[in-house]
Amino acid sequence: MPNNIEQEIREIIAEIIERKPEEITPDAKLVEDLGADSMMALEILAAIEKKYRVVVPEENLPKLTSLRRIMELVKSLKKK
Amino acid sequence: MDKPILEIEDIKRILPQRYPFLMIDRVILLEKDKIVALKNVSVNENYFQGHFPEEKIMPGVLIIEAIAQAGIVLVDNIAKSDKRRIYFLGAVSKSRFFKPVIPGDQLRIEVKLIKFISNIGIIYGEVLVKDKKVAQAEISFSVKER
Repeated sequence: MPNNIEQEIREIIAEIIERKPEEITPDAKLVEDLGADSMMALEILAAIEKKYRVVVPEENLPKLTSLRRIMELVKSLKKK
Repeated sequence: MDKPILEIEDIKRILPQRYPFLMIDRVILLEKDKIVALKNVSVNENYFQGHFPEEKIMPGVLIIEAIAQAGIVLVDNIAKSDKRRIYFLGAVSKSRFFKPVIPGDQLRIEVKLIKFISNIGIIYGEVLVKDKKVAQAEISFSVKER
């Protein structure tokens, strides 16, 4: 897994929620702090599935609350 | 010739849109996560009066609408709910128009389901005329049951 995964995911999120990448700190809450909605969350999920060729089980969606949580999930799915 | 899976009366049972806003004529393929629909573009389409009087081009936003309507038929087929479902447009992205659509063209609207979770989803559609891609778009939507 490349180390730049954090930056890659940050850029995916930034584009979808229309924020600057530097605003997406690892623990900023996507909904509460950055103004994302459920539709944007699903778009982030779909973009990540496509980029990393992983399938994120539906029940994981509520857990994807921050960049750090998304990163952890992608890393764990990639290991499988 | 392409055999219809759904003809216009079947489509009208699924889509609430009516003249002049029904943007698909026929469905020729309907699978779990893919649909192919046809629309015949006639010079009699009401929008050609104004778009444009001197050069008739189908408005790109209506091609997007055709993708969205094909998407509704696709998702409705998955949901198979008895309740009345209303679909709301959430976002349109990755949209591009490659070639003007003019009277006499037949749109082949191919839509794939990217993601659908409970009441929100994403579809991706490509529109072809004679095997050439004329438009594409990704659409996010939400669904309400009434």
